[in-house]
Amino acid sequence: MRLAALTCEVLARSVYLCAARSPHVVDVRLNRRGLHDDPPNLRAILQAELDVTGPPYDAVVLAYGLCGGATAGLRAGSIPLVVPRAHDCITLFLGDRARYQAEFVGNPGTYWYVQDYLERTDEGSAFGGVGAVSDAAARATHQEYIEKYGEDNAAYLMEMLGAWRSHYNRAAFVEMSIAPEQAAEAAERRARDDANRRGWRFDRLAGELVLIKGLIDGAWDPADYLVLQPGERLAMSYGEDVIRAEGAPAG
Amino acid sequence: MDDLSALTAAIEVGDRTTAVALARAAVESGVDTREVLGAMTGAMEVVGKRFQCNEIYVPEMLIAARAMKESMAVLEPVLVKAGIRPEHTAVIGTIKGDLHDIGKNLVAMMWKGANIGVVDLGTDVSPEQFVAAAQEHHADIVGVSALLTTTMVGMKDVVVALREADLSGIKVVIGGAPVTREFADQIGADGFATDAGGAVEAVKHALAS
Repeated sequence: MRLAALTCEVLARSVYLCAARSPHVVDVRLNRRGLHDDPPNLRAILQAELDVTGPPYDAVVLAYGLCGGATAGLRAGSIPLVVPRAHDCITLFLGDRARYQAEFVGNPGTYWYVQDYLERTDEGSAFGGVGAVSDAAARATHQEYIEKYGEDNAAYLMEMLGAWRSHYNRAAFVEMSIAPEQAAEAAERRARDDANRRGWRFDRLAGELVLIKGLIDGAWDPADYLVLQPGERLAMSYGEDVIRAEGAPAG
Repeated sequence: MDDLSALTAAIEVGDRTTAVALARAAVESGVDTREVLGAMTGAMEVVGKRFQCNEIYVPEMLIAARAMKESMAVLEPVLVKAGIRPEHTAVIGTIKGDLHDIGKNLVAMMWKGANIGVVDLGTDVSPEQFVAAAQEHHADIVGVSALLTTTMVGMKDVVVALREADLSGIKVVIGGAPVTREFADQIGADGFATDAGGAVEAVKHALAS
C-alpha cells in the first residue's frame, strides 16, 4: 500500500521510525504541535489535508487521538481514513489505552513530557510539557494583557489562567527509546528540571511503539483502530472504544 | 449616562474600581436594590452574549466577572436585609478525574452574575459528592464540567447518582469544550453548554423545561 501519514509533530520520531520500517510506502506530513488548543482549527487543518489526499494513496493514517474533540467530525476523503482509538497522544506513546486510563485514574494530576515536544519547544523556552505554554509566550501574554486591560487586571488574569498548575503534582516523562542517548538524556533533564521547578514528583515511564507501528504497518485491528470509508465521518462514541464511524451528510 | 448605566458599563469592561464605587454610591444613595441588581446582572448578560458571538474572549470575561463579583459583595448585605435571595441554587464542580477548572470557574461567576446562588465544589468531584452537596444545599441545579474527553464520560454517573438518590427534580447542566448536545441527550442531562457564555442560557432553558 501507499499511505499518507498525517501526524502531530509530538509523534515525529515515532512515526518516522515506523515509516522507515513499514512494509508499505509511507509519506509523512507533520503538523505543528499544540494545535489541540483550538480544536476547530485543528479539525479544519486536518480536513483540508484529507480533502486533497486521494489516489495514488490507498489510505490516510492519522497519528492523532480525539485531541479535545478536534478529530470528531472529520470526514474521510476519497480514500479510507484510519484513526487510532485514543483520547490523545499519550495513549499512542504508552501503546495501550487501558494503560493510559489506569495512569489517569491513579494519577489525575499528571503532566506529561515526551522527547519530541521537549526538543521542539520555542526558542528560549524553559517549559516543554505536552500542551504547555512556553515561558516566553507567557511573558508576551502578560505584556499584552497589561496593554489591553491594565496592570491590575493583567496580574489577575495571569493568576487565573495559570491556576491549573496548582492541581498538578506529578511529571511523567515517557521514554520511547528511539532517540540517541544524548538527546534522550537532554530531554529527560528538561522534564526533571521542570518538575523540580514546580515541585512535582518525577516519574519515568517506558513508552511502547505498538499503536504507532500498527497504524503505519497497516495492521488495523478494529479493537485499536477505526477505519472510515469515503462517505463516513468520525464521531465520539462516549464509550471504551472512544470513536465510531457515522454517515457524513452530503456536502 | 446615569449611574446605573455607568455601573453596567464598568462591569462590562472589567473596571472593578469604578464598578465597586458606583455600586457603593448607588446603595448609599438609596437606589432601589432590585434596580442595582438588575444593572449588574444585565452587564453579565451582555458579556455572555458577546462571548458567544466571539466579540470578546476569556480574559475579558474573567475581568468582567471579577468586577461583577466585587460589586455584588457591596450589594449582598443590602439584598439580605431586604430579604432578596437568589431564586435558584446551583452546585458546580469538575467531573471526577478532571482538574481543569477555568471553564467551571467562569460558569460559576456567570451564574452568580445571573443571580443564581452557587456552591462551588472545586475539581475532581465524585458523583457521591455532587449528590451530598445537592442535598445539603437544597440545590435545584447541578453543574458538571469537563475539559477532557477521557473524563467526560463520567458525567453520566452524576446523572445516574442523582436519579438514584431520588433527586430527579434537579436539573443537570453539563459543560466543557468536548460536550455536545448528542452526549447531553444520551446521558439524560437537562442542558449543556460548550462554553461559559452559553451557561446562563443553558440553565434558564433547563429550568424552564
